[in-house]
Amino acid sequence: MEAVPELRRKPAPWCDPPLPINALKQADEQSVAAISAVHHALHHYGLAAAAFRDWGVLAAPHYMGRTAVAGGVHRYQNEGAWGASPHLPAHRSLHSPSGTISQLFKFRGPNIGVCGGPGCATEVLAAAAALLDRKHVPGLWVVLTAFDPDLPPVDRTGAHAPGTHCAALALALTPPRPATTSGIRLRVIAGGAICVPPPTAESAPALDLFGLKSVLEALARETEISRAAFILPMEAGGRVEVEKIGRTAEHAHRNGDGAALDARLLCSLPLAETQR
Amino acid sequence: MTPSNPVWITGVGTATPLGHTYKDFADSLLAGKSAVGRVTTFPIGDHPSQMAGQVAEVPCPPGHDAAEFAGLHRLEQLLRWCMVGALRDADWWDRRREVRVGLVLGSGAEWLEMWETDALSGGSKLWEAHRHSESMLRRALRLMELSGPCLTVSAACASGNYALMQARQWLELGWVDVCVAGACDMAVTPMSLACFGNLRALSRRNADPQAASRPFDRNRDGFVMAEGGAMFVLERADSARRRGARVYAEVAGFGASSDAHNMVIPSPDPEPATTAMRQALDDAGVTPSEVDYVNAHATSTPVGDVAETRVLNAVFGDWLKRVPVSSTKSMTGHLLTAAAAVEALACVAAMDRGALPPTINLDDPDPECDLCHVANEARPAKVRVAASNSFGFGGSNTCLVLKAV
Repeated sequence: MEAVPELRRKPAPWCDPPLPINALKQADEQSVAAISAVHHALHHYGLAAAAFRDWGVLAAPHYMGRTAVAGGVHRYQNEGAWGASPHLPAHRSLHSPSGTISQLFKFRGPNIGVCGGPGCATEVLAAAAALLDRKHVPGLWVVLTAFDPDLPPVDRTGAHAPGTHCAALALALTPPRPATTSGIRLRVIAGGAICVPPPTAESAPALDLFGLKSVLEALARETEISRAAFILPMEAGGRVEVEKIGRTAEHAHRNGDGAALDARLLCSLPLAETQR
Repeated sequence: MTPSNPVWITGVGTATPLGHTYKDFADSLLAGKSAVGRVTTFPIGDHPSQMAGQVAEVPCPPGHDAAEFAGLHRLEQLLRWCMVGALRDADWWDRRREVRVGLVLGSGAEWLEMWETDALSGGSKLWEAHRHSESMLRRALRLMELSGPCLTVSAACASGNYALMQARQWLELGWVDVCVAGACDMAVTPMSLACFGNLRALSRRNADPQAASRPFDRNRDGFVMAEGGAMFVLERADSARRRGARVYAEVAGFGASSDAHNMVIPSPDPEPATTAMRQALDDAGVTPSEVDYVNAHATSTPVGDVAETRVLNAVFGDWLKRVPVSSTKSMTGHLLTAAAAVEALACVAAMDRGALPPTINLDDPDPECDLCHVANEARPAKVRVAASNSFGFGGSNTCLVLKAV
């Protein structure tokens, strides 16, 4: 969290010149982390933001705006209505990180905030699968943010306890393409009464920002790509299958038992973590 | 082109400043009633804007424990009331455990509203958040024993349209058999009213609350906050036909884009919002000349209403002179993240009742908003296709197209 003030001007070290002072001045810490993660992902793969002009953004922050409400309540109780920040609705709501990313990088596809509480990774991947299945957009940035530890203590003015970290994971997802020959594929299978039994695969961590990050990193290291797969369980028997696909992999889109998403565009490591 | 097995609305649950049932809402809407009044639920002496469209008390759904319900946050009460109402209306309530029922909620500030209300009344949820971390959506899913996936989405004031699009898509993917989707917001809180007031987004016509929300009128000076929500039951046409269900409308088209311009101010360039409207019409397989009614986003702000007029001009061209347009926010106020869902319900009411809801307080139309207004009084009309625009903070633009069945 100590890095956040600097990240508001320079979300990544190679941001030169720095952003205008008002660009992220009012943004929530999770929005700042999300912006930084997208910058890192673009830079890591040598891509220009302009190439993603028609892409959408799904951002899933975790308990967004808590520090701002803490500080806001303190000021409201002491100063009355005139102490209330006019920036709170636009910059501290569930839709704020996606809107900030869209504005800063000039992504003109739809931008949506997702979840905001427990189950962010599950919800954001379910939302992404539905949007990409419709093929309204060529691709989606999916950005997860969270604090570590989760729900850290805040004081009466809204300041976090020392040692709190804010992490972000940025994924670039496209609809599955028949011509795809390598990369990482996610298949989202909704839970419910009618469920397809999961195939045998390596056990995986919980489906959250940190679990997803560890799975993607493990797949990036995997050399025997034909067998690399993880299953991340969702509620009610649903799951996300993450696999590294090779030339012989079969990956036709299957309606009914799941929706596939390619994370191929950013090669095999579609993630970036904010600097702490 | 309408698909062979489209997605239909077969149930409605609502609570708005205009009424807590679909019938009351439609009656008041078509009577041109204003639901705006002076805020009475908390002190407003130093608030720049002192009026809102409020939901006085959310009724306890039948079969729920009244004492437990009374202890819930008002937003959670609203969600439960609307969900149960929609499932009962669609005749799925008693059979909800037999099918996969999904849940998609448009809501942008669940945690903010809950923390604020609790903190201002001396509670500890904000400080001990780890003890109160389950979302109201997951709690509702669990307590109502629904077995499908759930999702909260927010695109600010466009949230409800996204919720309906997601639900339609889950049905098309075969993830759910039935999906409850819509949006709820209880944003008329002390801090929220003050924040929007200090942003200078709200009308300050405090002496005449019922005349304050006046979209497209030359003397508009900002929007009026409101609260409420609407949830819909969506299912595939074959399922609805088999059951002999009452059908309100087809969820026929959706389009979305972002301005990428400013977090609060609409883009002066109409192209992004125009793209969203055109996508929605294409998705529904209709041409601009087939649209019988446009429910405009028009919030009654000086900048926003003019910006939307430019968008409508770009989409409809010369045909715009013949397409009736109204903003029902003139009666309800602006329900923020619930606005799109309630305005979808207004479109349903227009189809169902054969009448166009008016823009009230439209005494002196702004020449920069030169539209085919439904001014001040409802007008009889056969509505087969309705388009509902909803735009939001963060530069979100959406359009939903509903078709009569």
